[in-house]
Amino acid sequence: MGDEAVFSRIKKQLGLGKQPNNSITTETDGPLSPNIDKVKERLNITFSECSDYVQREIVCGEDNDIKILVSYIEGLVDKKLLNQDVIRPILNYFSDTDRSGRAKSVYQLIKECIISNNEIHEIVNMSQAVYRIVSGDAVLFLNGSKIALTVGVKAPPGRQVDEPDTEVSIRGSREGFVENLSTNMVLIRKRIKNPNLKFEMIQLGTQTNTDICICYIKGIANDEIVNEVRRRVIKISSDAILDTGYIEQYITDNKLTLFPLVGNSEKCDKLVSKLLEGRVAILCDGTPYVLTVPYLFIESLQTADDYYDNAFFASFMRLLRLFALFISTMLPALYVALVSFHHAVIPFKLIITLAASRQGVPFSPFVEAILMIMAFELLREAGVRMPRTIGQALSIVGAIVLGEASVAAGIASNLMVIIVAITAICSFITPPLSRTIMYIRFILLIIANFFGFLGISLTVVVTLLHLCRLRSFGVPYMTPFSPLTASDLKDSFIMVPIWAMLTRPKALFEGETEDKAGIKRQEANRISEN
Amino acid sequence: MGKTRISGIQLFLLITGFLLGSRLIISPASESKTDGWLSILIAGAGGILLVTMYASIALLNPSRTLVEILRDRFGKIIGTIVAISYIWYFTHLAGLVFRDFGSFLVTTTYPRTPMEVIIAIFALTIIYAVNSGIEVMGRISEILVPIVPVLSLIIGASIVTTHDFTAFLPVLENGIKPVIKASLNLLAFPFGEAVVFLMIFPHLNKMKSLIKITTFSTLSVIGLFLYIFFRNIIILESHFLDQATFVPHLTSVLFPGLNLEPLFGVIMIIAGGIKIISAIYAAVMGLSQLIGAKDYRTFTTCIVAFSVILSIWVHENIFEVFNWAGNTWFYYSIPFQFIIPLILLFLSLIKKADPKPQDL
Repeated sequence: MGDEAVFSRIKKQLGLGKQPNNSITTETDGPLSPNIDKVKERLNITFSECSDYVQREIVCGEDNDIKILVSYIEGLVDKKLLNQDVIRPILNYFSDTDRSGRAKSVYQLIKECIISNNEIHEIVNMSQAVYRIVSGDAVLFLNGSKIALTVGVKAPPGRQVDEPDTEVSIRGSREGFVENLSTNMVLIRKRIKNPNLKFEMIQLGTQTNTDICICYIKGIANDEIVNEVRRRVIKISSDAILDTGYIEQYITDNKLTLFPLVGNSEKCDKLVSKLLEGRVAILCDGTPYVLTVPYLFIESLQTADDYYDNAFFASFMRLLRLFALFISTMLPALYVALVSFHHAVIPFKLIITLAASRQGVPFSPFVEAILMIMAFELLREAGVRMPRTIGQALSIVGAIVLGEASVAAGIASNLMVIIVAITAICSFITPPLSRTIMYIRFILLIIANFFGFLGISLTVVVTLLHLCRLRSFGVPYMTPFSPLTASDLKDSFIMVPIWAMLTRPKALFEGETEDKAGIKRQEANRISEN
Repeated sequence: MGKTRISGIQLFLLITGFLLGSRLIISPASESKTDGWLSILIAGAGGILLVTMYASIALLNPSRTLVEILRDRFGKIIGTIVAISYIWYFTHLAGLVFRDFGSFLVTTTYPRTPMEVIIAIFALTIIYAVNSGIEVMGRISEILVPIVPVLSLIIGASIVTTHDFTAFLPVLENGIKPVIKASLNLLAFPFGEAVVFLMIFPHLNKMKSLIKITTFSTLSVIGLFLYIFFRNIIILESHFLDQATFVPHLTSVLFPGLNLEPLFGVIMIIAGGIKIISAIYAAVMGLSQLIGAKDYRTFTTCIVAFSVILSIWVHENIFEVFNWAGNTWFYYSIPFQFIIPLILLFLSLIKKADPKPQDL
């Protein structure tokens, strides 16, 4: 699309086109040497100045002819497990001299009979070995063998599964994702006991080699979307992937938009429900936030609670959230437009109260609104950055003292304080959109100051046009409203009970195919032209 | 050019929004005073015939736009000349709607803002919308157009306290002549203007239901016009209807204790906006096909700018606009809305179009 071209041009101008490729693979590439001393030497060079690198040589057998090198990174490996599963069995076995001269080779013996761990892989390549070591496996090099063995003895994950702070739900599971990828995969698998649930692993980041996992349910997820996700994720070329936020910025359809085109969640049950709707999830090692695509506008108004509760209540809450969205975007702008341009619209009795409250306020409504909203945004940012206990105190101080004092000092009118307070409350109701709303609120406010209702209406129209232009992985962002998808309206502003939701979201299966057909046609045209 | 598709409901809403257009602020058939409803019915009947004619032309020349049809049927030279005049007509039409929009806002809400500024910021929105492509235009109409009847109904329902249900009597007080004149006017503005859609019909994804869609949207527009007429006359009575410049606006101001004027501005932006984007899209698309350009977006800005200048430059004041819309527009439109389409229909019926070589 157009912004893709813009983006690449910006990238080129900044000289960010290609990143230096100095990954670990370049120095250590090549097949494994059967000579264990050579291997040791190369590993020592690779891991020089790595104080956490540990290697142990085991020499055993009848004539001390069996030499095994065990390499691992301290802390990443559970030492107890390593001793119990690998080292002790080997020592025990070969100390018993009778059994050493069987038909099997030493390598096969170790692999098939001795090591009592289930996670064993063969590797033939030095770079693979190094990668396995840094990702937390123990690697066994055997003298005389071109194949090394990796044993999965990873240390247990850091944080326990916990209730997520960012998404609180009244009902439903309290399990949230953690930083450890395999734990997260377990959490998903526990809820979908089905071999069709697929986890595809990809390593990204030339420096970090972060594990990325694309997760979907085969047969439910649209294959074209899965392919597209795979294509876009593989295309990422970056030094480091530290969070799914990095991935999000690379794979989003429109890189120059304020609206979120990729969803993220910390809640397991929410993610599982999205997978079951046919969406694709992207997990990343080291972060509890999991991405879901395609992400549609309506998802910002949906919460997990909606589905667990009575549909009547849920529908009401959805409408309330829509109303809150409207209020938090428009209210200050509407107030400014009313007071500056459209006095006639205000009912007479209200205009008297309004005039009284604005008496003595030296600023225009616009300046007043900007001041108060800026104060609120500052308070919010401070509240987020502060330690939680101080943050609370800060917000109380901010709310009471600033509001009261600014009215008393004659900087803001009472009505303005009310309006900013309502706006602030409403902006917390739809968290995925809250920062987008902040932007639009300021834009609307400025335009309302110059053009009144006309400006507001036109800005809203332009925003809607922009929303209609957006696509998330080929699916139009505003589905099911436009294009109107009647069967998907069941889960929009009004929600039908869960037993009446008989079909999966249709939009996820049609948008992409349509788009793909278009691309194919274009290609056909191009070929025919040539 | 049929790469991008719009669905049936999107086309329905586009046509509905287009036909409502600026007629929502200039009361439909106000010339015939109390007999306006008769004019609306007559014009509506004619409108259905006209729109069906356009749809049949599109069906007889599958996946061709107006410009392509004209060049096919009239030959290259004459076809090109007629196509150019159509492009002019569409641009002029957009200019007139711009002018209606600007005059309305300057008269009612923004007396001290220069009309040029108001039209210009509106035009910026239009450029963005047209450049987004026909698919996005269809989608935005899905969100916005339903607001128009809803708001109209809300305005009507809030003012029922002051009414005189016998206001439209007596029937045919001034004879049949003004009724016919008003209905001819209403036929040319807005129903005949739907000739614009000959540029958009080929984008429809299911051509089979085209006539159903056009008829249905014309019918709903007639219904809404009737509703607006009766609302106005019941509330304002006939002498007011005659004197006010923007009748529906006056109606909306009457609500006791609260002014519904901004709602009216919203209606105007939506319906007028849909009308202008359709007309501009048709003009720009026609121009790009005429020249053989790959992307119509190149021309959008200059056509819109031209149309904005035209809108300000052509008429001195609002009364001239009304005079033009009331008296001249019908005669001006005859060749574009009636004669050429009739000839096209005739020619298309005689010889069926060959299927397009690369009908993709």
